[in-house]
This record gives sequence, C-alpha cells and structure tokens, in this order.
Amino acid sequence: MPPSHTSASFEELALPLLPALFSHAMWLCRNHAEAEDLVQETVSKALRGFDSFEPGSNFKAWIFRVLRNNFLTSRTGIAAARTVFLEDHPGVADSSDLRPTPEEHLIRLDNQAAVNEALDKLAAPFREILLLCDVEEMKYKDIAAVLDVPIGTVMSRIARARRALQQLLQPQFRESL
Amino acid sequence: MTEINLNYSQESGHLSLQVLNAFVDGEVWADAGTEIQKHLEDCHACTLRALSVTRLKAATARGAARFATSPEALARLSAQLRTQVAEEHSSAAKQIGRVVRFPARSASSVGAWSALAAAILLAFCFAAWQSFRQANRLTSELLDQHLATLAGSAEPQVISTDKHTVKPWFQGRIPFSFNLPEPDALPPDTMLRGADLVYVEGHPTALLLFTIHKHQVSMFVAQRNSEFAVTPRSTHAGFTLRSATTNELRLTAVSDVNPTELEALVQAVLKVQ
Repeated sequence: MPPSHTSASFEELALPLLPALFSHAMWLCRNHAEAEDLVQETVSKALRGFDSFEPGSNFKAWIFRVLRNNFLTSRTGIAAARTVFLEDHPGVADSSDLRPTPEEHLIRLDNQAAVNEALDKLAAPFREILLLCDVEEMKYKDIAAVLDVPIGTVMSRIARARRALQQLLQPQFRESL
Repeated sequence: MTEINLNYSQESGHLSLQVLNAFVDGEVWADAGTEIQKHLEDCHACTLRALSVTRLKAATARGAARFATSPEALARLSAQLRTQVAEEHSSAAKQIGRVVRFPARSASSVGAWSALAAAILLAFCFAAWQSFRQANRLTSELLDQHLATLAGSAEPQVISTDKHTVKPWFQGRIPFSFNLPEPDALPPDTMLRGADLVYVEGHPTALLLFTIHKHQVSMFVAQRNSEFAVTPRSTHAGFTLRSATTNELRLTAVSDVNPTELEALVQAVLKVQ
C-alpha cells in the first residue's frame, strides 16, 4: 500500500462517515440488523479495496458506491433493482408537465409526518437520489459516481423525484385547505 | 459545482424542472445563475416553484433524520472498523515477517518430519500471535474509550458519587451485575464520579469513572470472556492499564495515575465482587 493508502488513513476517512452510511443503509434495507450488516460488509470491502480509491477524489462518494453495490448484490437489493426508469433510456424525452400547479405554488411542508410518509411511498431510486442530494449534500457529479449514471440522468432523476414527492404530498395539502 | 451544460430553456415562458432543481441545488455556473436569478425577479410562478423546491429539499433532509444511528450501533460499527484496520496492519506486518518457507513436497522422511515440526511451531506461534493481536486490539479500544472520556466530548450518562445511584442505573442495561465498594473502602483521595454504558469489542460494558487525586480513572467492568484478555499490567502511550478477573467479571482500569494507586483501586473493587 502506498503511504497515502494506509489502513490508518482509511480509518480516518471512514470513521466520521459511519452515521451517514448507516442512515443510508437503513433507507435502503428498512431493517436495523440488515443495515448494520450492510455497513459492516461495506467497511470490510472498502478497506480491502482501498488501493482502488483515487487520492484526491471524493472518499464519501467512493464508499457510498461500495455500499450501494453491496446492497444491490444482496437479496433485498436484487428485488429493489428491478425498477426501470424511463429517463435512464436514451431517446425518451422528459415529458413532465412544466406548468406550475397551485399546490406546487403554495405547498406547505410544516407537516413533517406527511413528508415522511411521502418519502416512504416514493419509488426507491427516487428516494435514494434525494437522500444523496438533500441529506448527504452530495454534488451531482458525486451522485453520478455513486449511482454509476451520467450527470444528465442525475439531473433529470432529481427533478422527477421532487415532482413525484410533491404529487404524493398534494392529497395531504388538499385536506389541509 | 459540476461542469454541467444546463441547456437553459424557457419553454412556456418558465424555467424547466431540471434547471430549477439544479439552481436550488447550487449546481449552476455563475453566468447561468445570474440569468436564472433575473428570470425569477420577473416570474412570480417560477419564484414560487423555486421556493417550493427549496422547502421540499429542507423537508427531505429533516425527514431522513429519523434513521439516525443509535449510540450502541455506532459503537459496534466503530469497533468493527478499528478491528479490521488493526487486522490489516497486523496482516501487513505478518507478510513482512514471514521467513519460514515449506517445500511443496518433501522427498525424504526427515524433510517431512521437519516440515511437520515447523508446521506445529508455526501453528503455535500463530495462536500466540492471535492472542497477542486480540489483546492489543482490546487495549487500543480501552485506551480510545478512556481518551474519549478525558476529552469530555460527551457527559457520562450517570453523574453521581453515590454507589446506590450508579449501580442500579445499570439494571437492564447490561447482562450482568457487579458491586461497588463503600466510599471508605476506596483508597485515599479516590472518589467515584459517575458511570456510562459503552461497548467494548461489541460487548456491553460498565464504564465506572473515578478520580484519584486529580487523575481520572476509567474502569471497565465486563463479563469475563476467555477469548479476550488484557495483559494484567501494561503501559501504553503514558497510560497504565491494570486488569483483574473474577469467575464472572473482567475489570480493567486505565489512567495516567501512579500505577500503585491504580492497582489499589482495582483491588478495592475486586474485593467486593
């Protein structure tokens, strides 16, 4: 291992990310024990493959990618990966309605329980990208690296994910009128 | 910020969803940002949509907080990470130190017996090395826990000098029980200050906090486990470790106090078990 790739530097980089990795694993697995196993396995694999981490690049994006790949090869992950997204296929135009809706104008998000419920109902890949962007505050290029998709796909998926989340919140909004 | 060609569009007189979201996410270059800002000043509808996206983004971040790691899970994961890193170190050192080479096939019986003897010796050394490595790992973890206590980054969960407050607090939190000496049975100028629940090698452990004069002492009380044992007396990075066991428990005290005084405290706690 070169000096910059010592296991000590791995510990220094990985230790502060454990809470974020666990939280993300929880969202993926929805089970405490499975999430903990997933993080443990991720740390183990990331340490073994630390040689492949490029110094100067984003370690957080790198280890999140390891986590995601681990999840996708797990039993739960294989089932979750079956979802196909139209925008991931070239040539399919963004057909979302660009007209703003009154709900979108005035949507109130002070009901956190409703937001949580909507997040739960959101399709897994939509939820995943919003978590990487809004919770982990990753840049689009890092999200692209984690998800192994082009930046254009990241942009369109984020837009669709937020649109879908807003639509899930609309019934709640109507009730509060 | 990424080098994204935003392909800024104003179809239907409004910003596209992608542009709007990228703007809220801070993913547009300054030029495009200025242009979008100018549009928002004139377009009430797009301003409201941008506001809506901003609120949604904040609400998503708040919503995700419900899956925060529990201190117990975090302790287990941290311990596991440190263990693996320590193993990686040891593995590298082992490769450097490997000098015994066995021939793939031995032609003579003398060679075979030599190989067998060497294998037994190697197995013995490996077992000893494993035991040493586990002890080292445990020592490092106990030192880390003690340093964290000294750093005062988190208050202990129990702050009390009363053993009748400290001991009952552990009921239901640890799968074993232990006793604490009366204050007058403690060595001179030694005082119980509080306690905390920690995980050492993934096992629930009572961390008792004492002071001897002005020195802080961390005493770890755990179930005795034949797999892991700390050397009874050792010094690491200027800290003294004193360990003792009963049939059921393992006590390990860590401090920078005089080793004799630390030993006296360990013996005082050991005596009441």
